[in-house]
Amino acid sequence: MHIHEYERYWIVISVAVMGVFVALLVAGAVVFGVRLPDTGQFVNPSELGNTEFSSPGIRDMGDNEYEVYMIGRMWNFQPAQLTVPEGATVTFNITSQDITHGFIIEHHNINLQLVPGHVARARVTFDEAGEYQFICHEYCGRGHHLMHGQIVVEAAEENES
Amino acid sequence: MQSVQPQETQTETPAIQFPSIGMILSERWLVGAHILVAMSALSLGIVLGPFQTFRRAPALQWEMPIFSYYYQALTAHGVLNALVFTTFFIMGVSYFVVQRSLDRPLKSMQAAWAAFWLMLVGMVLATGAIISGTASVLYTFYPPMIAHWTFYLGLTLVIVGTWVGLFNVLFTYFEWRKDNPGEAVPLAVYAVVANFIMWFTASLGVAIEVLTMLLPMSLGIIDTTDAQVARILFWFFGHPLVYFWLIPAYISWYTMLPKQLGVRLFSDSMARVTFLMLMIFSIPVGVHHLFVDPGISESAKLMHALLTFVVSIPSLLTAFNIGATIERSGRKRGATGLFDWMWKQPWDNPVVAAQFGGMLLFIFGGITGIMNASFNLNIALHNTTWVVGHFHVTLGGAVFLTYIAMLYWMLPMLTGRKLFMPKMALAQVYLWLFGMLVFAGAMGRAGIEGAVRRSDVGAEGAYVSDAMAPWLNLSAIGGALLLVSSIALFAVLIGSLFFSEPVEEQGAVPIQKAAPKDEHIPSVFENWRLWIFVIVASNLIMWGPVLLNAIDVSQGFWAVANPGSAR
Repeated sequence: MHIHEYERYWIVISVAVMGVFVALLVAGAVVFGVRLPDTGQFVNPSELGNTEFSSPGIRDMGDNEYEVYMIGRMWNFQPAQLTVPEGATVTFNITSQDITHGFIIEHHNINLQLVPGHVARARVTFDEAGEYQFICHEYCGRGHHLMHGQIVVEAAEENES
Repeated sequence: MQSVQPQETQTETPAIQFPSIGMILSERWLVGAHILVAMSALSLGIVLGPFQTFRRAPALQWEMPIFSYYYQALTAHGVLNALVFTTFFIMGVSYFVVQRSLDRPLKSMQAAWAAFWLMLVGMVLATGAIISGTASVLYTFYPPMIAHWTFYLGLTLVIVGTWVGLFNVLFTYFEWRKDNPGEAVPLAVYAVVANFIMWFTASLGVAIEVLTMLLPMSLGIIDTTDAQVARILFWFFGHPLVYFWLIPAYISWYTMLPKQLGVRLFSDSMARVTFLMLMIFSIPVGVHHLFVDPGISESAKLMHALLTFVVSIPSLLTAFNIGATIERSGRKRGATGLFDWMWKQPWDNPVVAAQFGGMLLFIFGGITGIMNASFNLNIALHNTTWVVGHFHVTLGGAVFLTYIAMLYWMLPMLTGRKLFMPKMALAQVYLWLFGMLVFAGAMGRAGIEGAVRRSDVGAEGAYVSDAMAPWLNLSAIGGALLLVSSIALFAVLIGSLFFSEPVEEQGAVPIQKAAPKDEHIPSVFENWRLWIFVIVASNLIMWGPVLLNAIDVSQGFWAVANPGSAR
């Protein structure tokens, strides 16, 4: 099979560019710790009362580390309002009580699919004070657009006083 | 059927005689019926799109027409455009390509019509369910949200119809293969065969999902399901689905556009490499739609991400091969410089312009696709309106415009009438190109600001930030341009069906009848046994652990109780 000289150069360049992208992706995961949610805990969506999700909310783990246990359902998040100090690193543990939902915080690197039966888990740091919405991003019926909540990141000096 | 050969008793005729100019009537009806059903589905599906942008724009917040309920309209938009329009169009074009390229009739005309009726009944059932308001589950229909059973039965019939149709085409090809030993099959047929093998493999995933989970659940036979397992089965199908749409567009670029430009394709063999790679690599990459799912391991996500970069290679090969072919066309038209061949093209021919427009949009589609596949960026983009921007420059751009290009040269052939108002057809193409750039760009930017897709943000109580609002408004301007373009498209279609003058002389069918004789095409390309083995093996490796792992975490296939319907 004949391949034109220029086309051979093009193939080499294409493969090289994709190779660089892949290398950056792997470097991002290994060096900078950009990770994706892994398989985790299984919880029965109709028996959340027997799990950590029986009392949804935020837990202060010290050292500006927080754990959030949150339930997504048609059509709200529980809790729907969170307050953390600036610089807080929060690990979200979220599950769905009914159907598939989504979770995204605007302008932050956290994005989760909430699949009933599974606990979605991700960590995010809030570097800048402000008010940010978390929004359900998977269609979940008639009231899907109503399913959002707010996280307030308080400025550091306010927190000190 | 007309017989041009008087000696009908001669059963040993190697190649069946078949009128080679124009199309015989039965073939015209078959192809025409598919195209017309496709366009009727599109007529409702397409018009709902712009009104969604008007609904979502904070400056307008209009009510939806036809459907009062946003998500019902969104379901109709997705199902009719992405599933029904594409599938009917692809089956019609595939029948056309195979019969014209091989110069022989389909193995069975009855089976082709049976497939058509199956698909049509399926389409009517699914559309009926959507219109009745009992199937507002969007075209991804993730359980445990459950629609009326007629919706799933309808979609099943559409898929079963494609199976009947594709085996008919494959048997036609195998008979040609037997009659023409040692000869490479024409490129367009090669691509159709590759597309159908890929489609059949992929559709098994959604078939298992529908038959073991959705249909029994909607009928009340079972009351548990597993949303994660269902999503895995769906996306086993979902990614090859987009290549099922794309390959016919590539067939047009590779085998029809060169004829329309009056040049030869740069490399037939590399085109085969492209189709082969698309067939193999489009399936074991689907987890890139599930990057942020909780029930799939991080290592599987990484593996699928890496293979996704491999599937970009055939599209980069296409960029070179088609680019070089277009350069030939420019040189033929007097271009001498480094870049002037780009301008010396028949930009005033709607058939050519539509394909060029599609390619232009596909450049953006490819770049945004690579960004989506990069999982570190995906965290910021997943399920935002960015993704909607991406698939509107790919499916709504490259695929749609190329299908419209095919429609514009096929219409005179099917109806015996000239294309109605070609200037309007040309304007339609450029309006679509420009409108889609505006719409997709605005949707992309809104997504970066955190606007989520599939959300009725025009409704009371929905969240729209100041950062998203201007881009959602801009997307409505794009939507308005696309609405005008769609109206022009249907004016051209209806005019060409009923009002324009009859054609005096049929134009040439832009179909390649044989593989080039002066290019060595290795026979391994058509070693389907080998490639099917590669497909089965790669998917067992790439999907097997993903599925087993999810079932294991859930402790069973139907482990999760259905919390109730949400439609």
